[in-house]
Amino acid sequence: MNNKLLAIGGIAFIIILMYRGAYGFLFIAGNAPAFVGVIIVSATIFYYIDAAKSGKEIYLRPISGLNAIEEAVGRATEMGKSVLFVPGIADMDQVDTVAGINILGHVAEITAKYETDLNVPTCRAIVMESAREACRESYLRAGRPDLYYDDMVHYISDDQFAYAAGVNGIMIREKPAACFYQGKFYAESLLLAETGNSIGAIQIAGTGSASQIPFFVTACDYTLIGEEFFAASAYLSNKPELIGSIKGQDIVKFMVMVLMVTIFVFDAFRQLGLFNFNIITFLGLS
Amino acid sequence: MFLKRQMPVIIAIGVGLFILFGHFVNNENVQKFVNNDATQWFDIIASFAIFLGALNMLKLQVLKVVKKQRNWQYSILAILGFAFAIFAGFFFRGANYITITDIDSRSVPQLVQSISTIYKVDDPVLMAKGIEGSLASYEIPKIFISKSSAENFAVSIAGMAKEVSTDVKPWGAHVQIEGSLFSWMFFKIFTPLSSTMFALLAFFVASASYRAFRIRNFEATLLLVAGIILMIGRVPIGGLVPWWLVSTLMIFGIGALIAPLIPDKKLLFGIIFGGIIIITSLGMYLDWHVAVNMPGILSLPNISEWIFDYPTAAGSRAIMIGIALGIIATSFRIILGIERPF
Repeated sequence: MNNKLLAIGGIAFIIILMYRGAYGFLFIAGNAPAFVGVIIVSATIFYYIDAAKSGKEIYLRPISGLNAIEEAVGRATEMGKSVLFVPGIADMDQVDTVAGINILGHVAEITAKYETDLNVPTCRAIVMESAREACRESYLRAGRPDLYYDDMVHYISDDQFAYAAGVNGIMIREKPAACFYQGKFYAESLLLAETGNSIGAIQIAGTGSASQIPFFVTACDYTLIGEEFFAASAYLSNKPELIGSIKGQDIVKFMVMVLMVTIFVFDAFRQLGLFNFNIITFLGLS
Repeated sequence: MFLKRQMPVIIAIGVGLFILFGHFVNNENVQKFVNNDATQWFDIIASFAIFLGALNMLKLQVLKVVKKQRNWQYSILAILGFAFAIFAGFFFRGANYITITDIDSRSVPQLVQSISTIYKVDDPVLMAKGIEGSLASYEIPKIFISKSSAENFAVSIAGMAKEVSTDVKPWGAHVQIEGSLFSWMFFKIFTPLSSTMFALLAFFVASASYRAFRIRNFEATLLLVAGIILMIGRVPIGGLVPWWLVSTLMIFGIGALIAPLIPDKKLLFGIIFGGIIIITSLGMYLDWHVAVNMPGILSLPNISEWIFDYPTAAGSRAIMIGIALGIIATSFRIILGIERPF
């Protein structure tokens, strides 16, 4: 076992011990599973970020939706049409929107390289400002700050359906060749994706809204499902520290799976009367 | 440069860690900040930011009209709508009301009749009782957008009470009260337009379902079959589908699955036909037509319930766990300043 793993594990263990010592006094009683979970998840992700930074090779499986981003922008360039990026209808307090803006940064870099028009209609003023910042940086990074203008990111409306009507109007009038839906979506997801489908645009969607994923899968060419969407910016950036966090996330997922199976087996045995040990009570989950 | 680059990162890391661990700290002030103040700070910032958005929207629409860009005519409508909403919200209350004092009890029926000419009275008797209960002072439950219309009506009922006065609802209340100019705009223009957009969803669901249900491969077929079972099983008529029809369809389904494994079509036909005969005979022998005797697997509502409770729940929970872990990892990257969307 390497020293860094021991050091990070040791620190996490000490923090949990300190928490246990001040439990009910400095720390609120009843939140123990959440606290331990946060520490274990953080320590695991931190370890893999550190490992990636140190040069450890990390394999990420190819995600077709992300590989298609450049292809979609390229298609728009060939057709002489614009690229539409919809960052969802939620504000910056939603992680989905933050993830969407991160992806926008990568899309904007490609549109800057290809000299393709980018149109980003937003539903929230703060999202508009953040998206402008992300686009400005991307155009600068691509060496084309001259192509950037503030109004490529613009505000439409805070209202869900007014926004959907506005974006649909843009689609029908401008007929973008590529549409990206990356962020938090609700009922408007299908309105947007079906309109995009009707104009023949190549569509790539990604959302953390589980209930909207089926609609995007049906109407879009590529959909980033679940954690793929949150891993997208790390995947696209190719930065070791970001890729490390994805590996850490996967390890946590594996730990969750092991925990679920363990709980299932132990609880099944308890219910069959093989022993009296209640793992759910032991872990403080009931 | 420090203020532009490092400072936002320091603020994000500091506030992020404080709010994350604040959830566990046993201190009233920390809890208050984490649960209330922090979210209110966000609301306040977002409220101010709306000016940026509104001005941006207005600027783009005005530019479109001035430069006569393509479809500039629609922008006139957007500008007019914006101006009208500002006018109704900030400059014109349009929420006049009438108060009548010292009402003559003998003129109550006549008063109810007069009110019913300008306001939909569901139960005149109940309204009369209400007026009789407050003869000293009664506010007519009708909001007048213009002051002159309120005054005209006040004149028409002047003889029924000692004093009839008109007044206007306070600023702020006028946007919420039903019948004001703002509420008229909201309920008569905005709500129908929103509902229209929402209603479009029904048509889009139909076209999307058609595309999803087209049989192209095994997965699409599975989706089609599960979709049909769910649709039929969740409506009352689903319970009326007889057991023999469900069992026959099941045998056809199994036949379709094993068909590639059996090259001899006669044998396949024999298996399917034999299966139908056996299951139907068994059902008749065991009285499956009586609901209590029928196996649950032959009831469409039961199958749809099972699909919903097990395969669907399992799949959606797997996605949910992935999403939750993705959110944690993204938050962690932002809190540590590894990923900076700002």
